[in-house]
Amino acid sequence: MAGEVIPTVLTTPSEKEDARDPVYLRIRDLVYQTSGIYHSEEKLYLLVSACKRRMASERVAAKSGRKYLELLTSPGYKETESRELLNEITIGETCLFRSQPQLNALQNVILPELVAERGKIGFRRLKVWSAGCSTGEEPYTLAMFLLEQKGKLLKDWEFSIQATDLNDRSVEAARAGIYGDYAVRNTPEIYKRNYFSPGENGKLVVKDEVKAKITFTRLNLNDDSRMVFMKGMDLIFCCNVLIYFDMASKRRVVQHFYSNLMPNGWFFLGNAESLYQVNDQFRLVHLPGTTAYRKGGTEPGKGGMA
Amino acid sequence: MSSNLRDGLKRKVEHLRTLPSSPAVLQPLLELLRLAPDKIDLRKVVELVSYDKTIAAQCLRIANSPLYGRARPTESIRAAVVSLGIQRVEDILLTCCLHKFSSGTKWAGDPLVFWKHSLGCAAVCRELAERIEFSEPEKAYLAGLLHDLGVLVNSLAYPEEYSKVLAEAKAHGVPLVEQEMKDLGFTHCESGSILGATWQLPKAVNDVIAYHHNVENAPEDNPLVALVHIGDVLCRLAGLGYGYEEWRSVELAADPAWEELAKYSPRLKKMDLARFTFDLEAIVPCVQALVEGVFSAKPEHSEVESPS
Repeated sequence: MAGEVIPTVLTTPSEKEDARDPVYLRIRDLVYQTSGIYHSEEKLYLLVSACKRRMASERVAAKSGRKYLELLTSPGYKETESRELLNEITIGETCLFRSQPQLNALQNVILPELVAERGKIGFRRLKVWSAGCSTGEEPYTLAMFLLEQKGKLLKDWEFSIQATDLNDRSVEAARAGIYGDYAVRNTPEIYKRNYFSPGENGKLVVKDEVKAKITFTRLNLNDDSRMVFMKGMDLIFCCNVLIYFDMASKRRVVQHFYSNLMPNGWFFLGNAESLYQVNDQFRLVHLPGTTAYRKGGTEPGKGGMA
Repeated sequence: MSSNLRDGLKRKVEHLRTLPSSPAVLQPLLELLRLAPDKIDLRKVVELVSYDKTIAAQCLRIANSPLYGRARPTESIRAAVVSLGIQRVEDILLTCCLHKFSSGTKWAGDPLVFWKHSLGCAAVCRELAERIEFSEPEKAYLAGLLHDLGVLVNSLAYPEEYSKVLAEAKAHGVPLVEQEMKDLGFTHCESGSILGATWQLPKAVNDVIAYHHNVENAPEDNPLVALVHIGDVLCRLAGLGYGYEEWRSVELAADPAWEELAKYSPRLKKMDLARFTFDLEAIVPCVQALVEGVFSAKPEHSEVESPS
């Protein structure tokens, strides 16, 4: 349903076959319990191919799914191997314009509503946070998308994006904003033309007017003393980041996100990530082709009529 | 709806019954649906399914779809009835009957879209019913399948006006029911329940047809209405709606239907709705492939259809 996850390694027919092996359903459930990332039957083959790549690695060298599951649950191995598997699952997900349904929902549902609501009080500022921005693909996508709305929905509006990541090198790369073909494979031509200039070796460099909308900083989401200062957000994006946290930290971090949002603010996770049992204050909201979470407002949220 | 409008609508629906494509097995099948499952004779069902060869062939193809979770394909109708159960085969037969009933006639919009939504909603309702341990999952399927019977009525009875309604709803991304009220003065809930009543559908199912967009005013003691309302919304937001995106956000847990259904199936409140939504990803392509495979194939159908 939601935006596509593009596998970096082509899957083989045998992976479709293996997806019927019940052991992968157990791995699927284990991954969901520990990370919150879910593989529906339709996407199970992606999990199978991620497992296979790990199983073929020198460190693991597991001959069967069953052996691999044993490793994933055995003390001493499970922490590191779970992390490696998650890396393998989310690899290839970092690209610009990764989730089109999310952007469509922003454009057609969320922004019009926000604009109408704020218009009433004449407060035309939008604050966005990309938490765990990795090498910048997500905040740049949002900045370009919002700039594109400046002539339309967001006429006379100001917006700013906070982009944070734990990793210094990622933040550095994000600031540079240089991307190759693979990273821009989903980027519509019009955005490529308007918001990039040509760089070395055929790469594309994000233009300064886009960079000016974003503040990149290093931030540890577990650092409570800094988390409390990220106030007043309208939209928070945190894709494929919480999956690496244990339940207790997940709960704490999500609670911070909740507090940092304005009333009626929106919280977005990666495709197929869920907050089930992590937080019960956020409300799950269905949008065409995607889901998001929403903070309660001062007035009752819209129910689902019709 | 004014009484004039209602009378006009009734006459249109009456007129539908004389459609040349109305299959002979529809009436006896509707009678069967009114019986308690344990009163139904297996032979009678096999006989009905076998009566019309186009319908029989479609039934077998549907029965062999992954949506029905069969491990091995079946080639005989008897085997399908035995392994899927009488009720499920009745549902399949009804789907094929309705398809035949409405084919070969002028439609507003794309009939395949209607079938995808109807079969999708049926499958989602059954899946939801099973997850929340709803007392009658098979009834959930039938109710999901028929909930938009009125869209079929409107498409056939008012092909031109309804084409405009569909086009307007699509252009503005608004729910069909709102556009119908605006342009026609009545909705598919009303037209569908008139046909449902003349067909003497079980009351619980006809309530779903009449109230799935208006759960709060539904007759008491019928959780099916709330269940189908939820299944319908999920389908429409998962790409199995009426061929366009409805630009809106829905918080299901704040929907009156949610509380209503939870009264009967308390497990609903503990259900992992996010995971259920992801699981629908697998249902959507199955439904699309099934409907395209069974209902868009032309050659073998044409021999039976001869509207004069």
